[in-house]
Amino acid sequence: MTVATIPAQNSFLSGAVDAYNATRRYLIRGKRQPDIIFGSVLFPVVFVVLFGYVFGSSITVPGGNYHSYLMSGLFAQSTLFASANVAVAVATDMNEGVIDRFKTLPIARSSILIGRGLSTMILGLPALAVMIVCALAVGWRPENGIFDAFLGFLLIELFAFALCWLGILVGLIAKSSQSADVLINIPVFLLGFISNVFVDTSKMPVWLRVFANWNPVSSVVAAGRNLFGNTIGPAPAGVWSLEHPEITTIGLAIIIIAIFVPLCVRRYSRTSR
Amino acid sequence: MTSFAISAQHLARSFGTTHALVDVSLDVPAGNVCALLGRNGAGKTTTVRILTTLLDPDGGHAQVAGFDIATQADKVRGKIGVTGQTATMDELLTGHENLEIIGRFSHLGAAVSRRRAGELLQQFDLVDAGGQLVKRYSGGMRRRLDLAASLIADPEVLFLDEPTTGLDPVSRSEMWAAIRNLVSRGTTVLLTTQYLDEADQLADTIVVVDRGLVVAEGTPEQLKASIGRPSVVVTLADAEPGALEKVRAALGEDATIRGRSVSAPAPDGLVSLSEVVTLLEGIGVPIHEVGLEHPSLDEVFSAVTHRAGDPLPGGHPADATVGAAP
Repeated sequence: MTVATIPAQNSFLSGAVDAYNATRRYLIRGKRQPDIIFGSVLFPVVFVVLFGYVFGSSITVPGGNYHSYLMSGLFAQSTLFASANVAVAVATDMNEGVIDRFKTLPIARSSILIGRGLSTMILGLPALAVMIVCALAVGWRPENGIFDAFLGFLLIELFAFALCWLGILVGLIAKSSQSADVLINIPVFLLGFISNVFVDTSKMPVWLRVFANWNPVSSVVAAGRNLFGNTIGPAPAGVWSLEHPEITTIGLAIIIIAIFVPLCVRRYSRTSR
Repeated sequence: MTSFAISAQHLARSFGTTHALVDVSLDVPAGNVCALLGRNGAGKTTTVRILTTLLDPDGGHAQVAGFDIATQADKVRGKIGVTGQTATMDELLTGHENLEIIGRFSHLGAAVSRRRAGELLQQFDLVDAGGQLVKRYSGGMRRRLDLAASLIADPEVLFLDEPTTGLDPVSRSEMWAAIRNLVSRGTTVLLTTQYLDEADQLADTIVVVDRGLVVAEGTPEQLKASIGRPSVVVTLADAEPGALEKVRAALGEDATIRGRSVSAPAPDGLVSLSEVVTLLEGIGVPIHEVGLEHPSLDEVFSAVTHRAGDPLPGGHPADATVGAAP
């Protein structure tokens, strides 16, 4: 038999190839589950229309359009829900024999998880596109032009990738997909609602306000509003995170990734389950 | 450098208060097939999971293909193939895609992975099913694909955890044929099984584990010999205690009463049998049948895995060739 394994001269390169292959595998799987893609595309449509009209029609804000103001928050919230889906998917994965097989193969321990993260991002793009179309349909406009809007979405995607690792960690810790579903909803709701998604943080009680102001969701939402030109009034004075939401978003995303990726890899590599 | 493809010393592993492995040592020479035989919960799967780097042992150490499982796990992973007890094929991928991805993860490169996937589908009679999603596969086809996947990088050492459990007889014999084919090419195989006939059919050596301990090991022939020499069994016409006792006394110290039969060791086979017949003529008890019984692997199994303190069936304590647990 002549099966020559390509020697791993460079462990980083070899790890990158493993991650590429893992991503490819998840993409093929994703393609075979059209119902999930359909749901993930339909969800933001419902989301934009529902929230846009339910809140957008009844809340008026001085000097601006609440409808447009809300949209950046809805984009950010959909990334939270995506991370919840990742948690459930990872928990399901871990209870399947295929992961055990991967663990007996000479691949980088992180590659399966990176593949999960990257494929989630790629498979989420159609949903994002549909959501943008819906937003445009209900009257949202990127007032600062295409380039700024693109930067805004880039930040939202960076944030989504960081959040993805929260979902992966919860999926790895949970004993079953049901428990992952229950567990992930705690951070998703805390992050999603103690934020500036629906309302300005300045009227919250102090303890809640501090959390809301430094909540990465708030900074990505504020960054989105800035770049889409959907802000209403100036940023809350003296709140550095909301005065510089773009830098804060990038910084917090890097911190989240730096903390959660090693935690996830360690948890995944833990041999006993 | 050891000459054994698998060498494990005093592996131990507990899960909470459950002692899955207490002390398991085994050596498998390169090119041999070793069967780890035991009941459910004996520690077979735990042993395989440790040797395939899926689980860290609490105690002991092991080398697989010359590499230490603890300190050189990645090297070990490059040399082994594993077919687990649970299905490890992705239902949403086709058979070919499953094999190809395992090939890529084994660092064969895309082109070689595709070629090997095609070859293995042919070898395992799955060519027609290669383009179909695995969720449409039957149980036997899944097992064959699973085995094919563990061979994609041409492993030196192959681990098969209960490869035929749950298969119908036809699929089982197909699986056996596939395993024999591998062995003929020199692959070292460690397989676990609950089935004696499977161990007997496939293995060069059998290691019997029970409650986390090695209770016996040897070739199938050695194990059969260890449980005993053949025995002569005298069945009486009636289960009359006095008559049974009379026969037992006549046959000597090692004779035991089982139901309405008396059995005694027959170290000399047929010669012993004729001696017993001569003996019986003298005591005037109505005899139904006299026969010679050879031990089966089944008896070996139940003898060595019998709970400590229980009498061993047949009354033959496991002798020196059966490696009693320390």
